[in-house]
Amino acid sequence: MTQSAREADSALTDQLVRTVWSGSVYFRIAFAVLGLGSAGFAALMLYTFQRGIGLWGNNIPVAWAFAIVNFVFWIGIGHAGTFISAILYLLEQRWRAAVNRFSEAMTLFAVAQALLFPVLHLGRPWFAYWLIPYPDRMQVWPQVKSPLPWDFAAVFTYGTVSLLFFYLGLLPDLASTRDSAPERWRRRIYGVFALGWRGSEDAWRHYRMAYLLLAGLATPLVLSVHSIVSSDFAVGLTPGWHSTIFPPFFVAGAIFSGFAMVLSLIIPARKAFHLENVITARHVDNCAKLLLVTGLCLEYGYAVEMFVAWYSGDEFELWQFFVTRPTGPNCWAFYVMMFANVLLPQLLWSRRLRTNLKLLWVISLVVNLGMWCERFVIIVMGLEREYLRADEAAFNPTWVDWGLLAGSVCFFLFLFLGFLRWLPVVALSEVKEGRRERERTLAQAEGARG
Amino acid sequence: MAESLIAEFGDDAALARAIDRVRELGVRELDAHTPYSTELVRDALGAPPSRLSTAVLVGGALGAAAAYGLEWYLVAHLYPLNVGGRPPHFPLGFVPIAFEMGVLFASGTAFVGALFLGRLVRLWAPVFEVPGFEHASRDTFWLTLKLEPGSANAGSVERVSAELAALGALSVRELPGGTA
Repeated sequence: MTQSAREADSALTDQLVRTVWSGSVYFRIAFAVLGLGSAGFAALMLYTFQRGIGLWGNNIPVAWAFAIVNFVFWIGIGHAGTFISAILYLLEQRWRAAVNRFSEAMTLFAVAQALLFPVLHLGRPWFAYWLIPYPDRMQVWPQVKSPLPWDFAAVFTYGTVSLLFFYLGLLPDLASTRDSAPERWRRRIYGVFALGWRGSEDAWRHYRMAYLLLAGLATPLVLSVHSIVSSDFAVGLTPGWHSTIFPPFFVAGAIFSGFAMVLSLIIPARKAFHLENVITARHVDNCAKLLLVTGLCLEYGYAVEMFVAWYSGDEFELWQFFVTRPTGPNCWAFYVMMFANVLLPQLLWSRRLRTNLKLLWVISLVVNLGMWCERFVIIVMGLEREYLRADEAAFNPTWVDWGLLAGSVCFFLFLFLGFLRWLPVVALSEVKEGRRERERTLAQAEGARG
Repeated sequence: MAESLIAEFGDDAALARAIDRVRELGVRELDAHTPYSTELVRDALGAPPSRLSTAVLVGGALGAAAAYGLEWYLVAHLYPLNVGGRPPHFPLGFVPIAFEMGVLFASGTAFVGALFLGRLVRLWAPVFEVPGFEHASRDTFWLTLKLEPGSANAGSVERVSAELAALGALSVRELPGGTA
């Protein structure tokens, strides 16, 4: 019994750490392609810095367009990571151990993309530090009664806390990686990042408490971040924005899009690294069920939004929801959103379709697209038609807009690929601990029967 | 001089039994090194719960209070500006940043506190010199203990080593640099 448990632990460690030591030619190709895309992203950012945001399709009244759509899109994707790692941890959902590392990494890299866009949108990004209340002899301070500084505080906190959570969870596994390093120089690099972790029970005691506390802190944080992001809109008077449903509606959408991205990344990674024994069909199925559930919350949000617009009797709200969105400029985004977020997820009611991984992967990709379109609909269509007929305008994105969006996708995947290549992709110590506990429970049950 | 021993076990149950036994022999200074945290070892060592939570509460409360104070100082005291008729001191509007900064400082305290109390960020420790210790992050469970000379029942190094071997230790060695 002991011997077999030990062998199983050893085999699992080898399986999950092996990827760190053995790159393949596919990795190089993928790195080259995504690296090129990321270089293009950097070039477009430089171009924007140099020439200004007149390169984009933004106009007046559509002053917020792709930059803010992309910002909300990427921040939203980050939410499933914290949801899986923090909320499911507090709820003692053991299955999360197989997928939490993936989704935490996804969160970090998505938040990194999100932070770039508002800075680009500043036009003069070298003044980005004005968002911080630094000692200024001109006495021009951030206006903390406005949602924009709230947003800055929330996203900055979210990025930092996600990083701490990710790194803390990684420590024991970095030590495993260090201890199985084939060469001395790699052992040294991982040794530095493992911060001298030696699995001492004294360290575990404080580690477990810190992990629990971070999970407890991240839970209200994840709910607050997108609530605050939604206040950027809800506090404004634009029809389609000015609504009290926004905070829960945005949080539901964020977690929905995050689960879609988790599935989009996990399904290919699981296959490429042969992780079927760790990320089992049940794990994928649970993610798919959560996608369905959060999708239903979101659809409820759509319904309430439309109901309130109708029930308010306000002509501008009615115009926004029932004329502009289905028939106005860029109305394609509205139909993509409705198809991808309302109709398509209903397929997930069927267990047969849910366990068909290829189909599930395609659904998750389309849902990502649909969630991007949702933010486009809210932001751009809200601004295209406000109160005055004379103010009406259409928004036409330029190639720079599309290029920056595509570039950020490349950069996100580039960072994620780096994670897959150089870090243990599954929370090793937690998976081993979970297995040990299951064995003991089974043994106890057998003992009781015998 | 105090002498230290380190023993390797194949699973957590064996380690927990060994902890109980050396406690009976009067050994007080014990620690375990394990690939994952397990209930058996935790219960056997019987360490009190971590005090980190108090530090985190204080850190979070200070962060939130400092943020609220700064908000008041900037926009209510130094540069009051009437925007949309909101009063200069506007508690409702000050809450989000105060909350976020509370979470930020609490999380920072939890992270730094775990490293500090767990005596991490020391890249070298005597246990790393023990042959086979790389399995401690992988598949075996280790016990370190310090024998105080002249303490009641500790007995000799040989006696404790023999006891550990009898309890199924895969290896028992002296630890030159001491425990920790």
